[in-house]
Amino acid sequence: MSPHLGSTGEQVRRGMLAADPALSRFDPLPRILTYDNFDTGTNGWTELIGNYDGNGDLSTVDDHMRDFRPPQVSNCTFFDTGTHGALTGDYALKLATRPYVGHTAVAIRRLTMARKGLVQLETHFSYKAEATLGTDAGNNSFGGVTWDGNLHPSEAQFGAFTVATDICGDGGLRYHTVMRYRNTTVDNELDQRWVYPVVPEPTPREHLEGKVKLAYGDDFTAPDPADWQPASEPMAMCYNEVPTKVNWHYLRWLIDTDARRNVELQVNDTTLDLREVPVPAYSDRYDSLENLLNFYFSVRTHSGVRNFLYLDSVLVSVDW
Amino acid sequence: MRHAQTAVLERGAEFTGEFATEPYEVPWAAEARFFVQVIDPAPGTVTLTTQLSPDGLNWIDAEHLAGVELDTTGVGMVTWRVREFGGWLRLRGAARPADADGGTHPTGRGPRLRIHLVAKE
Repeated sequence: MSPHLGSTGEQVRRGMLAADPALSRFDPLPRILTYDNFDTGTNGWTELIGNYDGNGDLSTVDDHMRDFRPPQVSNCTFFDTGTHGALTGDYALKLATRPYVGHTAVAIRRLTMARKGLVQLETHFSYKAEATLGTDAGNNSFGGVTWDGNLHPSEAQFGAFTVATDICGDGGLRYHTVMRYRNTTVDNELDQRWVYPVVPEPTPREHLEGKVKLAYGDDFTAPDPADWQPASEPMAMCYNEVPTKVNWHYLRWLIDTDARRNVELQVNDTTLDLREVPVPAYSDRYDSLENLLNFYFSVRTHSGVRNFLYLDSVLVSVDW
Repeated sequence: MRHAQTAVLERGAEFTGEFATEPYEVPWAAEARFFVQVIDPAPGTVTLTTQLSPDGLNWIDAEHLAGVELDTTGVGMVTWRVREFGGWLRLRGAARPADADGGTHPTGRGPRLRIHLVAKE
């Protein structure tokens, strides 16, 4: 409930949300910071790139952070059925990896905090591996999934998608809250669990200081698979059998920037309590990031087949 | 105000031999323009051909556009416009070192290119 509106005002607020077809599919906290409907463009969701020198020499960007690919405004068009369209309207934001094992595509949204407290991100999303065409019978099986009329091997060709933050405050104390849906392990076996990293993301400064050097396809969020821990039991999604059917899933992720922790994650009808999920902070303090509040989505292929994450719309709301 | 979007399709990759950029969707756009910059020269040329696709999987050269040749001996840039392209765009390229007929490239490497795609509705 809004601390400013009182119970009657809160009822009015909720009634107005319910009467708005665009907003009624969300459950926002009292103040909506951003509402991004990709029928109107990329709305501030842009490609992430690592840091570079004073001459704009992008060869100084760390190898694992120099090619996260630009997001695309997509009408979800496929070879078999043509244009699918988004949840509403024509367009969704699409993140697309290269067809390279480990490649990651990232879109980031950069905000700052006017106060600390609860922050909630909501989205309607879908994920897919790219369709494969040709005559190779070997394409009928992948990662232990064999085409049987229902199941389709492309489901095992999708690696993972991630929703995460980059937050800094309190004099340079920096941390990330991170939730990843690990559809497959790096060995292409279906896993389908939400996982979280137990280490902070490697940074360009650590590279410059010689502490870490990652390769092009390394996982930029937490490179060692052992540093990801399960936050859920296996949770099946609606992949809907083939790589060209797009079903939209609801996701609601609540964090607390005052307590510097996750609170809960809701995906369709399942809500995970994340209050006990540890959120490691950097031991170093960071300059020029005060009140940082960044969000990113990423998609990572474990198969060498392009992986796609589609976002119909994204809403970020706060209780301040 | 018109919608406009700039995508950096490549930001300094080295190109040798034949290549294609990643598929990029611009179904909302009526016009587009490629910009290709040499940011690290290597003696030779790169031929760039605009390709269209109905689905991001099957590609064909744009019927109304000739290939563009870029001299990669020094830094420089080429640009060209694209219209009536459907929903998907990419570039097909062929990097040819200056001594292509004579064997190994003298520097053992190709040019590094930055490729922008600017689209407007």
